[in-house]
Amino acid sequence: MASPTATRTTTAVPVPVKWTLRLVAVGYVFFLVAWPLALLVQQTFDGGLTNLLDALGDEQVISALRLTGIVAGLAVVINLVFGVTISLLLVRYEFPGKRVLSALIDLPLSVSPVVVGLALVLAYNGRNGLVGPELEAAGFQVIFNSPGMVMATCFVALPLVIREVVPVLVEVGDDQEQAARSLGASGPQTFWRITLPSIKWGVVYGVVLSLARSVGEFGAVKIVSGNYTGRTQTATLVVEQKYQNFQQGEAYATSFLLILVSIACLVVVALVRPQSHS
Amino acid sequence: MTSALVERGSPPPVDPGADVPTGGGGGRRRPRRSRRSGPRSTLTRGAGLGLGVAVLWFSILVLLPLAAVVAVAAEGGVSGYVSVLQNDQTWAAVTLTVTQAAVVTVVNVLVGTVIAWVLVRDSFWGKRLLDVIIDVPFALPTIVAGLVLLSLYGPNSPLGLQWAFTPSAVTLALAFVTLPFVVRTVQPVLEELETDVEEAAASLGAKRSTIFRRIILPSLVPAIAAGAALSFARAISEYGSLVLLSGNRPFETEVVSVRVLTFIENGNNTSAAAVASVMLFVALVVIVLLDVLQRRVARRG
Amino acid sequence: MSIEVSGLTKRFGDFVALDDVNVSLPTGQLTALLGPSGGGKSTLLRIIAGLDTADAGTVTIEGTDATRLPPQKRNVGFVFQHYAVFKHMTVAKNVAFGLEIRKRPKAETARRVEELLELVHLSQFSHRLPAQLSGGQRQRMALARALAVEPTVLLLDEPFGALDAKVRKELRDWLRRLHDEVHVTTVFVTHDQEEALEVADEIVVINEGRVEQVGTPDQLYDEPANDFVMGFLGEVTTLEGQVLRPHDIEVATHPVPGGVQGRVERVLRIGFEVRVVVAVADRPDVTVVLTRTHSRSMHLEAGAAVWLTPAEGAISVASGRQREAASA
Repeated sequence: MASPTATRTTTAVPVPVKWTLRLVAVGYVFFLVAWPLALLVQQTFDGGLTNLLDALGDEQVISALRLTGIVAGLAVVINLVFGVTISLLLVRYEFPGKRVLSALIDLPLSVSPVVVGLALVLAYNGRNGLVGPELEAAGFQVIFNSPGMVMATCFVALPLVIREVVPVLVEVGDDQEQAARSLGASGPQTFWRITLPSIKWGVVYGVVLSLARSVGEFGAVKIVSGNYTGRTQTATLVVEQKYQNFQQGEAYATSFLLILVSIACLVVVALVRPQSHS
Repeated sequence: MTSALVERGSPPPVDPGADVPTGGGGGRRRPRRSRRSGPRSTLTRGAGLGLGVAVLWFSILVLLPLAAVVAVAAEGGVSGYVSVLQNDQTWAAVTLTVTQAAVVTVVNVLVGTVIAWVLVRDSFWGKRLLDVIIDVPFALPTIVAGLVLLSLYGPNSPLGLQWAFTPSAVTLALAFVTLPFVVRTVQPVLEELETDVEEAAASLGAKRSTIFRRIILPSLVPAIAAGAALSFARAISEYGSLVLLSGNRPFETEVVSVRVLTFIENGNNTSAAAVASVMLFVALVVIVLLDVLQRRVARRG
Repeated sequence: MSIEVSGLTKRFGDFVALDDVNVSLPTGQLTALLGPSGGGKSTLLRIIAGLDTADAGTVTIEGTDATRLPPQKRNVGFVFQHYAVFKHMTVAKNVAFGLEIRKRPKAETARRVEELLELVHLSQFSHRLPAQLSGGQRQRMALARALAVEPTVLLLDEPFGALDAKVRKELRDWLRRLHDEVHVTTVFVTHDQEEALEVADEIVVINEGRVEQVGTPDQLYDEPANDFVMGFLGEVTTLEGQVLRPHDIEVATHPVPGGVQGRVERVLRIGFEVRVVVAVADRPDVTVVLTRTHSRSMHLEAGAAVWLTPAEGAISVASGRQREAASA
């Protein structure tokens, strides 16, 4: 029914349908993501560099950015070590309860950040938490303090490294590790010289995803941190406060910096992706 | 970049070393252990230690706090649950959240599949950019996402739209943060779908609509369902992007997460825990559903 | 004896991979573990290497009880079917791996790597990555890597199984020549009887987790222990309850004493051979192989009545244990 000039193969879609689908896809993404994002960047630079300079001159913003860096960095390192360990265990070993563990690992992906924050508060707050008072008596304050913020960030980004590393581990198989062992390498030698190099792109990918998620965490950290200016306030919390205090310029500028981090993560991912597939 | 979030099937069991047909050399070398043999530990001492430490950390970080939520919620007993959920404002928040999440999921199923199709089968200038932009909502901090949406749909909208603080704002925010899920689950499946199957159907006389309905769609359904599940789970738990955008008006734009937060801020931890435990239950159901769906996707692949 | 295996048993769930296996493999020889897929030969090899552990039984390597030793302490070289090359290392680094683990001096390692690459004809590729090599080259590299640590025994698991027919044949000859030069005790697993017969000093036939026969290629061919061994080493047919080779049956177009009467079902010409399928009463069809000239002189055609007798001096065994593998 389609004219021969319009279709190159028997299964090609007719031109009007193709254009409609293309328009729907591009239009939806343009109005939902691209345009609003561009507008925000434009608003940031409305007065030239004023907004950005204001923000960078504001001690509150600077200390929040620093705190975000520290908390996200720690959370990424912890999730990296935990994630690679769990991935190796899930792929290379058999043990009772493995399937349950594998399913539970994914749980943080679908738990609301607010619930994450609440859960940590109920477990660790010093007044009436499940184990909080005992910890506090031992001089260890978790809630309204940095350990709780690192934990909240770890929680929300927990499965990301695992979800990247597990398929890579499955794909590379254990042949190389066995060869290394037959050549006399010990467990740690095999891990550092053989396993890690062969999964490194999967690990990098997972780390970048975790970093983006950790830097951007808002709800869980808001509840756990207590949002004390200059002490437990992260960059995302500053954006909220500045916007609500009608310091919109600084809110835009801080957002812009966070957008830069996200875009940088996306660029790294785009560069890494072909490598991990080769 | 969320593709990998949903692609993973369950890891295959570690192969034992029995030999198997070696025919072309491309096949698997060793058979899988029979399912009946049950779990058997192959942990070495070092691996056992690693498992111990990892499970301990996981318990401290995830299991103990979630148990605390359930424990606190249970303090109020069944009547506690009923009274919390019967509260008009809470019930309105639940209804709004579920309705909006459902609407957004349907939109994602339709538009997400179209976007995935365009990314795989179409080619035009700027497609690569489109591919990257799809991931922006995943990488962007949620509070920033709210601010971003305000710039086009808020008070200073260049389009003259004033959607902020209305239920449309909730739809908008949820659609934004869930954009990647269906696209990134369907895309890889569509990529692997051989066009020769469609050509075979065409050569057998099937019309284009028939090919879509009987050949393409059935292979996409598990992936679409998995993407929909993820998207629904994310939507009902969303908080950050709504803070600045929706205004959190009771009975109008207040979602469940915000309701929980209000309970927390008012020091009403029991009610917060009761609502949170219901959300947790939904999250668990979604996880189980996803596990089943992923197994099905893996089997097809 | 270089390798002593006794009472070895291994199960995977309900599947018995090895059932009380006892084998002695002499020092310096090239031994093939031959058998159908799934018969347990790879499992045996992996247990010798320490990559799998047996449920029962012991493994002794050069007088040392190795049953409980981890693979890295056994000093065996293992070559995998799919090469198991270290993809992120150059060819030279791959070969040097075992020596670096053993902390040999740099100069010694470099010299040894050079020697080995020479031996496997890969000297000019030493700085390439494995991805830039062909399958045959990768397997030669894997062999050099295994030999670098001067193993007590060299174990090869279907080493040529993933290669195409031509390369497989080349590597097979090359392995034989290499073994004559290096003289390390070598055990390789194969399901290809031609490969085993051509390369090995001694063959261990393994099926369904048991050793069926151990012997030189000639012994296996001339004195098969049972119909399975006979069937696995070449084509067989059954005449009056005796298993024998199709070319060891004489055909007559007239009644002969002791001859089994039958009727020609099909005549197939394959190159210089003619394959005749004969239907006999109450038994499966018998296959006979004749030369083309012989067949033509007898005017064999479908429907013709014939009488079959075993040829003089034909090797045959009683068909006791019918197995599907025999027809492979």
